Amino acid sequence: MNWRDYQSTQRVAEVGERFVSYADEGAGDPVVLIHGIPTWGYLWHRLIPALAKQGRVFAPDLVGFGYSDKSDCFDRSIARQAEMIDAWMEKVGIERADIVGHDIGGGVALRLATLFPHRVTKLCVMNTVCYDSWPFEVMLQLGHPETRRKVSAPAATTMLKQALKQGFATSPDDEILEGLLVPYSTEVGKLSLVRNAAALNTNLTMEITQLLPRLVAPTLILWGEDDVFQPIKYGGRLAWDTPQARLVRIEGARHFVMLDRPEEIAEHVSAFLERE
Amino acid sequence: MFGLGKPKPVTEREAEGEIERVYHEIKQVMRVTGINLNFRTWAGYENFFPAMWDAMRPNAETRRFEDAADRIRAEAVRATEHLGKLDAATSLRLGESQSYQIRRALDLYHYINPKLLVFTAAVSLALDGERTGSETESVELIERGAPAQMYPMEMVAEEPEDTRTQELFDDIKKTLSLSSINSDYRTLALWSDYLAAGWKRLKPITESEEYKQASEHLRLKARDLARTLPYSVPLSRERVEELGEDADEIIETTWKFERILSSLIHNIALFELDWRTPDTLEESPFPVAARRDMGIGQGGAR
Repeated sequence: MNWRDYQSTQRVAEVGERFVSYADEGAGDPVVLIHGIPTWGYLWHRLIPALAKQGRVFAPDLVGFGYSDKSDCFDRSIARQAEMIDAWMEKVGIERADIVGHDIGGGVALRLATLFPHRVTKLCVMNTVCYDSWPFEVMLQLGHPETRRKVSAPAATTMLKQALKQGFATSPDDEILEGLLVPYSTEVGKLSLVRNAAALNTNLTMEITQLLPRLVAPTLILWGEDDVFQPIKYGGRLAWDTPQARLVRIEGARHFVMLDRPEEIAEHVSAFLERE
Repeated sequence: MFGLGKPKPVTEREAEGEIERVYHEIKQVMRVTGINLNFRTWAGYENFFPAMWDAMRPNAETRRFEDAADRIRAEAVRATEHLGKLDAATSLRLGESQSYQIRRALDLYHYINPKLLVFTAAVSLALDGERTGSETESVELIERGAPAQMYPMEMVAEEPEDTRTQELFDDIKKTLSLSSINSDYRTLALWSDYLAAGWKRLKPITESEEYKQASEHLRLKARDLARTLPYSVPLSRERVEELGEDADEIIETTWKFERILSSLIHNIALFELDWRTPDTLEESPFPVAARRDMGIGQGGAR
């Protein structure tokens, strides 16, 4: 599915003063997929069809990302994003769900599981930010306020395309890269991404460290072993600190495991989420 | 409009110094999420632009200015009702989120364009030497700041890489005698199929006599309303020349924007009528409260 077709399937919900665009596929027990930075719900387009065979799959664009609200002047931290997901779940009638998160979406998922445990049935994180594993250098540069002025939207897109390629074990095709970055190709989109990058804050994963041993949801940690953005040592630490967690190493994969190995990842996630 | 030698419009990203200061104030005072083409164009005249803004800002913050724009909007909606329907979305497979965002984007321009027309008309009157405003009694001020739910002024590039969108822009510019493509079309081009379908129906309407008369009527109405603004506008041809700017060029540019905006308000209303009833559209999409009296030192005294 190309990004245009994906976008045309997105639904929308108003959550307070913001709006959230989201994919909604399948029927049954809800699964919520949360993307990272600098992507959007399209990240999951290869995983959604497989998961939609066994449940109702939601993939919201975090606020400030993708085709959700990209207004300026609001908090985009993962703390606020977790609150927004909680409010969005309330709005669309999801009482609790299996939560799957990648990158900072994993950070949002970890905060949901520790701080809003009533929302989370099972938790799956992939190459997630955690502890002080983040933000990596490119994101720090992107989040500098002067980037807004010094870097044009086309230049930012070119820079990010180069950076994203390092997140793939296989050479991604242009359509995928274009699709992941297209919401940020305008000046407003770029500014929104700059604001999102400026909101990346290690403290928001450090502060939940003490809560991890008490995380009650069964947890699957998937990790592309060769990730250069989020080294696997953090996956090991996360699994060790979280008694309910199991770490699965994805050999030969990097950061974007769901795009590098869609079938393998779908199998792992499907098996984990399968109801007893 | 912007021929050889005329300054290039200044984008928000390029704005520095006084222009950056004015752009911030415009967004706060006009209650809008971005800087429209007329301001970007005026900003090319770097001495004129801050002087013009400082001359107009007191009026732009008043309830009377907001009310004048509300009347322009309502009048345009009623005139547009009889011009025909675009049905731009009927033949398209727009998703729920796309439709929602198109409506939000239309609301942004449906709100701001009438304000821009009244503003531009007042600048034109001042540059023509007509004295306006003589208020001595207290004047109600409105709240500053873009409404939280206003759509961001997101736009595709003026020279898009996508050939189809570029051709569409070329056709719009040629048909409407524009030298630069307005923000409105650049925003709607985020959904290029939608803009293409709408433009196909809009184009013949813009060539009708009824449409041209309605646009001219709206332009004159805006001038009448601008004459009722509370404060005088300390701006004139002589002042522009003192600032070292080309007064003829600025007057011509300003006059052209009056004409463009009076048409654009109808065009956006036509797009809006596919989604909402005329009664709804007559109302401001972003009603504004009176500014609370915060006493001295709250940034209102510049």
